[in-house]
Amino acid sequence: MTESADDVRTRPAAGDVAALTARLRADYGERVVTSHAVREQHGHGEGLADAALPDVVVFPHGNEEVAAVVRLCSATRIPVIAFGVGTSLEGHVAALYGGVCLDLSQMNRVLEINAEDLDCRAQAGVTREQLNAELKGTGLFFPIDPGANATLGGMASTRASGTNAVRYGTMRENVLGLTVVTADGRIVRTGSRARKSSAGYDLTRLYVGAEGTLGIITEVQLRLYGIPEAISAAVCQFPDLKSAVDTVIVATQLGIPVARVELLDGVQMDACIRYSRLDGFEARPTLFFEFHGTEAGVREQAQTIQSLAADHGGSAFQWASAAEDRSRLWKARHNAYYAVLALAPGRQAFATDACVPISRLTECVLETQADVATTGLVAPIVGHVGDGNFHLVILFDPGSADERARAEALARRVSLRAIAMGGTCTGEHGIGVHKLDALVAEHGDAVSLMQTIKRALDPHDIMNPGKTVPMPGRG
Amino acid sequence: MAEAALAELQERVRAAAAERRPLRIRGGGTKDFYGQALAGEVLDTRSLSGIVSYEPTELVVTARAGTPLSEIEDALAARGQMLAFEPPHHGDGTTLGGVVAAGFSGPRRASAGAARDFVLGVRIVDGSGGALAFGGRVIKNVAGFDVSRLMCGALGTLGVLTEVSLKCVPRPRVETTRVIDCDAGEAIRRINEWGAKPLPISATCHYAGRLWLRLSGAAAAVQSAAGTIGGSDVGASAPWRGLRDQVHDFFRPACEGRATLWRLSVSSTAPWTDFGGDMLIEWGGALRWLIPRAPVDAAALRAWAQQHGGHATLYRGPDKSAGAFQPLSPAVLGLHQRLKAVFDPQGVLNRGRLYAGF
Repeated sequence: MTESADDVRTRPAAGDVAALTARLRADYGERVVTSHAVREQHGHGEGLADAALPDVVVFPHGNEEVAAVVRLCSATRIPVIAFGVGTSLEGHVAALYGGVCLDLSQMNRVLEINAEDLDCRAQAGVTREQLNAELKGTGLFFPIDPGANATLGGMASTRASGTNAVRYGTMRENVLGLTVVTADGRIVRTGSRARKSSAGYDLTRLYVGAEGTLGIITEVQLRLYGIPEAISAAVCQFPDLKSAVDTVIVATQLGIPVARVELLDGVQMDACIRYSRLDGFEARPTLFFEFHGTEAGVREQAQTIQSLAADHGGSAFQWASAAEDRSRLWKARHNAYYAVLALAPGRQAFATDACVPISRLTECVLETQADVATTGLVAPIVGHVGDGNFHLVILFDPGSADERARAEALARRVSLRAIAMGGTCTGEHGIGVHKLDALVAEHGDAVSLMQTIKRALDPHDIMNPGKTVPMPGRG
Repeated sequence: MAEAALAELQERVRAAAAERRPLRIRGGGTKDFYGQALAGEVLDTRSLSGIVSYEPTELVVTARAGTPLSEIEDALAARGQMLAFEPPHHGDGTTLGGVVAAGFSGPRRASAGAARDFVLGVRIVDGSGGALAFGGRVIKNVAGFDVSRLMCGALGTLGVLTEVSLKCVPRPRVETTRVIDCDAGEAIRRINEWGAKPLPISATCHYAGRLWLRLSGAAAAVQSAAGTIGGSDVGASAPWRGLRDQVHDFFRPACEGRATLWRLSVSSTAPWTDFGGDMLIEWGGALRWLIPRAPVDAAALRAWAQQHGGHATLYRGPDKSAGAFQPLSPAVLGLHQRLKAVFDPQGVLNRGRLYAGF
């Protein structure tokens, strides 16, 4: 294919950016910021700290303002990057070509709560904790929990999931509809409150997970769930990794609806024991469970799992039913990343995100552990074992180019190993800038069709350029 | 053999694209009634048949698109599993590809999710004859655009499905159906009230003054829910199979071509409204089937559905001049046209089946 000039993304001309900034200031006043500190804060998410600064940060207050900014950007082909609270992990918000960062955090209103319909509509800048706080008293909650207190718009854009995906699904299954500002600055509503997707193509599913490269999600319609009558949590330790994984495989086949089940390997467990001062545990492969349901249902689920675990050499369950005990236990799990950092002060860490068919999980994790051992790096493993997704948290010395290169090479091998086993390089973090090559390894020819979709919906390549799908002609 | 069949299908599409000649994708032909008028030479997908892999421990099945749905369901049933979205068989010979292309789900839809929620990956032949794969066989995958879900409900207008990977689920251990006498308004109120509680309701149906509720799950949960709901046990006369496949008495006039069947997809709490005809309510109130006594004003019906958060489809009927599907807003129509041009630039695949013009 011959490439027109349109295909090649470069930084916009300084004069165009200056003219745009002046125009934005005239329209939005103090909600337009160009200070280095603010641009720096908006130039990166979590994960690897490689910032790329936008030229200007704008704080819009509604769909129309977002659309107006996008139209201005479209006219002079200036990049537009949506930003929530900056918790993405794969460089999704880095302004690789400068341009405008649209910080949606002031679009933070929950617009409707339809308790009877079990749904709600919220602006993209509402965080998941804010939504759940506003749902208090309705008996409902929004279950998707990626750990960080991310915005709903960001979670939709990265198709986030978390520790309870087996029970409640991911953003893909829980977004009913969207308001999207397209690359030409139109406001489009997709989906509907009716559970069946609306007439025509399922555009909702296309924008969910597109990482802001096809349009900007400004509102989300979400499915809600009744707060379970009873919740209990338990921890069980295993002699080896395979026994832990096999316990979960058998439970899944029996259809036991475990709300969360998390695997920590021995190295990670050791880090958590030290960091969160967990008493009575050993540095062995460990499963954390959480059960949701009626009192009777939870008891039944837990008993079944306990006997399955015992069949696989698991230890006696350590229980937590009271809310504070449960949260102490899960806090230890959620703090796993900080526990890893505490293993080696001064080092940084980033996470891999492979997901494999569950029957290959043990093999994939064991091969990965052996791989880690040959590198001399420290890289514990946490996994959402119910869905085959696991994270290697790789520590490296930011001052050592060699060590960082070895860490990145290890991460790439994990991605390729997962793909070779019929899995994916990313189960929940996304492609961003860091996994473009892995996407090609995983999807092959299909990537060219994704490129065509990108060109069709964003012909001037202004929507979060350089992410999600590698475009020819880009540096 | 499967490779040869695929190569032949690709060749047919390539040749049609070269001449901009429309192709009409067809499996068992059980959904010929659905959508806009059919156009083009038939492209039969049944040469692409058979289960490619089924790993019960994974709860994932992969099959070629022309595989009869019944073959897949039998294989799953033999291992105590099923397709959670309870896909309809509109007659013998329904294929997997047809179910996914139409995006059809059955009575379990409201509690378990839609067809699209269970599609993990697809292989397609695009409108230029290229064979492409999207998604995969794992439950979570966020690598790139979610093209596999886009195929669900696109009615073959974006690609010929050649292979689909679906997530399956264990069959519920216990299943029972309760029936209660009540009118439609009362039924809508009650099922929405129960819907917010942790009750194992897996299907609902209201018709002719009676409300049926199916309970599925562990024995203790089903038993306790039956007590909460009340009514009486209907045993083997439960309506679910008939509803799923539209062989229930309600659908007969429409299936026999004597009446028009509208499908109203709305918010589950939309009030009961008398449109002058026979109505059957499913999916916890979110799906309302209407067989009007006299021809209805399609625009008014669609305005009502839209007002209640949804849309109205002219599902079956001899006269589809009102358009089978709810018209799209200009901006959304524009996105559709651009996507169609991406996947099928020559406009050969099921042209006009979804909306006129593409």
